[in-house]
Amino acid sequence: MSHLRLLQSPPSRVTPDEACLEAFQAEFDYIHRTLRRLGTSPSETDDLAQEVFLVLHKCWSAYDPGRPLRPYLFGIAFRIAAAHHRKRKREVPFEIIEVSATDPGPDEALQTKQARALVLAALEHIPLPRRAVLVMHDLDGVPVEDVASVLGIPRFTAYSRLRKARRELESAVRRSTKART
Amino acid sequence: MSAPSPLAPEVSALLERERDIPAVSPWQRSRAVARARASLATPYVATTAASGAAPRTRWAAAAAAALVVSAAVGAAAYELHVRKASRPETRPEVVAPVGDVVARAPAAEPSAVAVGEMVPRPMPAVDAPMSSRAEAVRAELRLLRRARVAVARGDFAAALSPIAEHARRFKNGRLAEEREALRVKALAGLGRMEEARHAAVAFRARFPRSVLLPAVSKMPAPAP
Repeated sequence: MSHLRLLQSPPSRVTPDEACLEAFQAEFDYIHRTLRRLGTSPSETDDLAQEVFLVLHKCWSAYDPGRPLRPYLFGIAFRIAAAHHRKRKREVPFEIIEVSATDPGPDEALQTKQARALVLAALEHIPLPRRAVLVMHDLDGVPVEDVASVLGIPRFTAYSRLRKARRELESAVRRSTKART
Repeated sequence: MSAPSPLAPEVSALLERERDIPAVSPWQRSRAVARARASLATPYVATTAASGAAPRTRWAAAAAAALVVSAAVGAAAYELHVRKASRPETRPEVVAPVGDVVARAPAAEPSAVAVGEMVPRPMPAVDAPMSSRAEAVRAELRLLRRARVAVARGDFAAALSPIAEHARRFKNGRLAEEREALRVKALAGLGRMEEARHAAVAFRARFPRSVLLPAVSKMPAPAP
């Protein structure tokens, strides 16, 4: 197994800048989707992803490569999305969800597309602090303890937010389904 | 502490479909990486300039700053005292409603949502004044967003204005590569093919290893 260990420890020729850029490139899909899940519009997401990179680059030396990158990226994306929402103040909770997808069809891809659109629209109806917990735990599969750690909140608060966010998600999905039938 | 009840089956099924991360388009990815690479080209300015000063100069600057701050605090305290004395009754303080901790946190205090122990040192504030470098990047992003949106909706003439402004303000900016790619697209879209070809040649010469080269080569057909 020693050869594996040698392979796993990269040579020091890779500069921190390059390593950070590679990480950004490798996780760009995740960053992009996380920002969308946190309520940024498609036209804004590219620019906000760029801001995620700027922060990631600035904090890169503090990142411990032994820990998973995605929760770390989520923490950055959440802060940026929260700051963006504060500026825009464009959250309008508890309205009928508009889903842009067309009529349902038998096609699996179309169903997935519709489901994705429905989930994104329903997430819009959950205030950001609770939405972040739900996205991290129920979509990214991060344990609640780690969610609390990344978001800097007590574990009890994380559970409480998750409980409430799930109720809000369910009622948003039901309202949407009812409106479409 | 009881675990939250599980999601309803239909909602759980919906989340299952959203769980996989969809891939963004290659063009979006290329542009994002090009931007990120460009932003690495120049080092931070504000912090490195301060840390490069001689120790004695820094001590003197710190002492002067402390003097100014203490004088300002003293003046403010005196002003407050005088105002309180001249006002017979004061209104009670407004108490913030109990809600989510993050929701109650002041807007200028993003530390309320810090990333916890994963980052040993405090992360930079997102909406607090950042370095001039970050501000410049944001200004560049804003300009090019206008250009990009105009190109996306086929309004190529409208795209040229922010492109020109970006070239004037950030001639060798971090996003010059993206600007020049947009210029080629806009010119080609307007049917100014000769200018578009010139811009494309200049782009290739200036950014020979650009990830945007394939997109620059595929110029859109001129608008009717």
